[in-house]
This record gives sequence, structure tokens and C-alpha cells, in this order.
Amino acid sequence: MRERQTQERPPEAARGAARPAAVELAGVTKRFEDFVAVDDLTLSIYEGEFFSLLGPSGCGKTTTLRMIAGFEDPTEGELRVAGRPMRGVPPYRRPVNTVFQSYALFPHLDVFENIAFGLRRAKVPKDEIRRRVSEACALVQLTGFERRKPARLSGGQQQRVALARALVNRPKVLLLDEPLGALDLKLRKEMQIELKNLQHELGITFVYVTHDQEEALTMSDRIAVMKDGKVQQLDTPANLYELPANRFVAGFIGQTNTFSGEVESVRGERVTLRTAGGLELEAFAPAGREVVKGSEAHVAVRPEKVRFGEAGDNAFAGEVRDVVYLGSSTQYVVELKGGERLVVYRQNAREAADSGAGDEVWVAWDAANCLVLGE
Amino acid sequence: MVRGAPILKRVGSLPDWALLLFAGLVYLFLYAPIFVLMFFSFNSARSTQVWEGFSLRWYAELFRDQSVLDAFYTSMVVGVTATAISTVIGTLAALALARHSFRGKTLADSTIYAATVMPEIVVGVSLLAFFVAVQFQLGITTIIIAHVAFCISFVTIVVRARLSGMDRSLEEAAMDLGADPPTTFMKITLPLILPGVMAGALLAFTLSFDDFVITFFVAGAGASTLPLKIYSMIKFGVSPVINALSTVLLVATLVCILGGSRFFSRKEE
Ligand SMILES: Nc1ncnc2c1ncn2[C@@H]1O[C@H](COP(=O)(O)OP(=O)(O)O)[C@@H](O)[C@H]1O
Ligand SMILES: [Mg+2]
Repeated sequence: MRERQTQERPPEAARGAARPAAVELAGVTKRFEDFVAVDDLTLSIYEGEFFSLLGPSGCGKTTTLRMIAGFEDPTEGELRVAGRPMRGVPPYRRPVNTVFQSYALFPHLDVFENIAFGLRRAKVPKDEIRRRVSEACALVQLTGFERRKPARLSGGQQQRVALARALVNRPKVLLLDEPLGALDLKLRKEMQIELKNLQHELGITFVYVTHDQEEALTMSDRIAVMKDGKVQQLDTPANLYELPANRFVAGFIGQTNTFSGEVESVRGERVTLRTAGGLELEAFAPAGREVVKGSEAHVAVRPEKVRFGEAGDNAFAGEVRDVVYLGSSTQYVVELKGGERLVVYRQNAREAADSGAGDEVWVAWDAANCLVLGE
Repeated sequence: MVRGAPILKRVGSLPDWALLLFAGLVYLFLYAPIFVLMFFSFNSARSTQVWEGFSLRWYAELFRDQSVLDAFYTSMVVGVTATAISTVIGTLAALALARHSFRGKTLADSTIYAATVMPEIVVGVSLLAFFVAVQFQLGITTIIIAHVAFCISFVTIVVRARLSGMDRSLEEAAMDLGADPPTTFMKITLPLILPGVMAGALLAFTLSFDDFVITFFVAGAGASTLPLKIYSMIKFGVSPVINALSTVLLVATLVCILGGSRFFSRKEE
């Protein structure tokens, strides 16, 4: 698995020579009794990067973040922040700050004192505290709310206080654990943009935990997709979407159609596959992805890469089973002759002819868009 | 069960006035003796049965009686000292039980609850036996030790309830922002559990101030608290002075309990 990652990702040197790492994990494992929550994690998070840990609930994202923050000790492996080994360093001596999932605002302190808390601990002079807290308030648009208690703020405002309280300390790394999870959709979208802008302006390294793939895709420079405590793929959003390493990533990031079958022939990057339903599929195997003739393989094609018509490396007849209007596009479910079901997206343009349920259609896609997946 | 159902139904179909009457009788049974007692503490005559007129003479007499004042003083000293000690120990115990896991935690946990339902007479006898065995001179010190022993459980339970309602991540957030454990405790944990600590302290004081059975065993000859004093006075017959003293004790207790419940239910604004 890890082999494949390193092969597919452009080598570190290629992406901006000696980019210093803000956080490094080397073989980090966390066990709770017998349960392995984080399994042999090795990765580097670069300075100034917006880095996301993405994965389904329970895959070890929070545990990873808590190890960086210092609330949990790795069972094995080494963790460095800004080049310094962190073993034995308590949370209050680490150059990181956390935005908690529950915000964890101090209920007995007002907004000002919540934000000033870290500065007071660092013995920052009073005048500077006042100045920096009001700057932080302005940054997250909370000016005028300084004397409010957290209970008298809306969810969105509380979220901003949590953010300001962490940012005001100018940490090397800001850790965010599903910070927008409790907000409604509209506010979440707004805050995504604000957070991204803020990160860009301040140049602070963000380590962002989310189970929302769309959120991770829109905000991150790089994403580590996790499952069962292991990184499945570490890549840019575009690469994750276009070149998912395995079936899990392909299914988790965006929507996809997958087929399984036996490899009939391999000619360089070109692979021919025969499914149980009898489909002959032309597919593409990225460099380094080992495909053996006669073995079983899985391929994936994105719904928007499938066209109606007969022109393409793969073209099959089928019947429309279901049509869902999605606004900018329409989703069709097409059942192929062999019984396989395929989801197809089509942009809604005025001239496009409508197909209804029950219509006989042809669907086609190119081999280049039909990716052979790793296991 | 099945047979009970028609009876329940019959009770349920009683007219409203009958239910009110029942409720009224229950309250009368509970509180009438106390009100009568308080009422006759203001009687101008010596009788505790015949009302002759309003007067504070029994209160005046009460506060002239040096042995009563001594008992009051002893009760206060015992109450304040036992409260202070048991509040500190009880709070620390609550923190340990809520925040840490250690060997024997389950045992420690259940003993704390068991201590609150332990028959007082058993506690009193065993403490007495203990003090005698180690040849500890009975007196105000043994009263304080005994009171601390039974107050700790109550403080722990009250503080723990408060702690369990407190988000663990608040303390983590404080540490994340650079506060070491002592600072985290002083700035975050303590202010947030303070209502619970105060409620626990008031409860401890009330329990200590009222206690008769355990105190009776461990007081020895030298020291007498207010409840012991009342008991010894009543041996010479009921007098309005006892009514007055009981009223004082009742009011003091009520003030503590009401203060405590107000503290405990206080919400963060
Ligand atoms: N303190 C703990 N004790 C035991 N198991 C834990 C503890 N913390 C987390 N886990 C387990 O580790 C796994 C990963 O948890 P977590 O990192 O919180 O997942 P995520 O944030 O990705 O949803 C979960 O199965 C969780 O039950
Ligand atoms: Mg989590």
C-alpha cells in the first residue's frame, strides 16, 4: 500500500525542493488496549499547508490530532513538530493550538477573556493582550461581542471565538477537529471560504480533520484519506479524485461506478478486462500499478465521464432505469445488458435531448477515464 | 398487581376535593408538630400547650444560659472545622474519581455511596470503639474527626455530580492554550465546580450541625453540641427554652439548605 503511494505521488523534491515540515509522523501507532486506532502512520505536513485528514467516523482522525496536540501519547513511533521531537512534551508546551469539535469555550469567561486566555498564560503584557485580542476579534468579525458570555452567542459566533482563541497565540500549527460540523449547511459553506482565506492570509499550517469529502476537497492543499487507522492515499484533491489509489478512496471521494473482472490483456498502460456479466472493458492502469493477466482487477469510472452515444473505447447498450434532476445536471441510472448498473451525470443544457425511464440508450466512455484501482 | 388495579382506579376517580384533603393531611402530619413547637417558643407562659401571649422571653433565657452558648460555640467550631476539612478532602476525592482511573476505583466509588446509607448508630459505635482502642481522648477533636468522616461522602457525591456535567475538553482546551495543570485547576476546573463545592460545603455544615447519634457516641463527657444539649435538657422535662433552641437550630439548617440549593442550581449566564 505505502509503496504505491510513494510511487504515485510526485516525489517530495519535485514539489518545491526542501520545503520544511511543520509536523512529521514517523511510524506513529496508537493502541487503546488491544484496539489499534492509528496504525503505523508516516507522513509530513509542510509549513503553511492546508492539510486534511479525511475519513469515515472512527478511522482515527481525532486520535491523530490529539497525538499532535499532546493529549495522547503515541504507543509507538516518533512525532515531530517544527523539527522538535514531541515525546514527553505536555500539551501546554507545544507550539500548536486546537479548535475543538465542541469548541470547548470557557463558560464562565466572556469572549475577551476566552481569547486572552492563551496570551495571559504566556505572560504577554496587558496592552499587547488588549491589542491582539481586538485584532483577533476583528479578524473573525466578533468586534463588539467582547463582553458576551459564550452561552449568549450563536453557534457560528461560538465557532469564531474558538478560532480566534487559538489563532491569537500565533501557533506554528493550528489543529481543527471537524470545526464546522455543528453548523448548518449555509453557514458551513461560508465558514469554509473564510477559513481558507484566513489560512492563506496568516500562512499558518492547518491540520484539518473532517469526514466530509466535499469540504476536504474544496479547502485542502493535500489530503490524507484514512480508513481503519491507516492512510489509504495522501494526495492533492485533484489527484485523489482523478487517480484514486484503491476502491475505498474511489468510493469515498465523490461518486463512482466500479466494475470487477478478470484481466484479459495488458499492453503497457492499457488493460482489457472481462466482467462476470460479459462486458469487455478497456481501462487504464497508471504507472506503477501492477496488473497481472488472468488476475482479478477493479476499475472505476466517474459518472460525469460517461456519455450517451456509441463513440468511445467502451460503448454499451442499456436501458434507463431512473432519472433524477439535480439542477445543474441530471443523474441517470442505466442498466446494461449484463445487468450492471451505471450512474451517468449529464450537464443540463437546453439542446440536450431528454431520456426517460425505460428508454433504450447507448453509453460510452474512454479507456483513459476508466481507471484500474489498487486493492 | 391485577387486583390492585381497581383500587388504583377508584383512587384515581376520587373527586378533587378529596385528593386535596389527603394531601393537606399528609402535610399537616409532617409539619404541624414543627409549627406547634415553633409557635410555643414565642409563648409568654411556661406552658407548651396553652397560648397566653407573644413574648421573646424564652429566647432571652436561652441566650443567657451559658451552657447553651457553650454548646452553640462547640457546634459552630465543629461545624466549620469539619466542613472545611471534609470539603477539601471530598472535592479531591471527587476529582480523583471523575478524572482518573486507578486500581480499586470501583471499590472506592461504592464505599463512598455506602457510607451515606450506613446506619448512624453503627458508625457511632464503631468510631467510639476505634477511639477507645487507640486511646484517643474523647472530646471536640473526636467529634470533628467523626463529622469529617461522614461528611466527606456527601461532599464527594455533590461535587462529582457537578464534575460529570463539566465538559472534559474544557480542561484540555486550557492546557492547549498553555495552562499547566495547577493553572488549569485554578482558572477553569475550580471556578466551574465551585457551585458544587459550595453546595457540598453547606450540606456538610448542615449535617454536622444537626448530627445527634454519631456525636452522642464520640463526644465523651467534656464536649456538648447543640443537639446533645437539647437532648440533655429534655430529660428534665419539656420547656419553652427547648422550643426556642429547636427553632434556632431549624432556622439555621433551613438557611444552609436553601442557600445550598440556590448555589447548586445556579446556571452559567
Ligand atoms: N480513549 C479511547 N479509548 C479507547 N478507544 C478509543 C479512545 N479514543 C478513541 N478510541 C477509538 O479509536 C477509534 C478512532 O477514534 P477517533 O480517532 O476518535 O476517530 P475519528 O475521529 O476518525 O472519528 C474509534 O474506534 C474509537 O472508538
Ligand atoms: Mg473525530
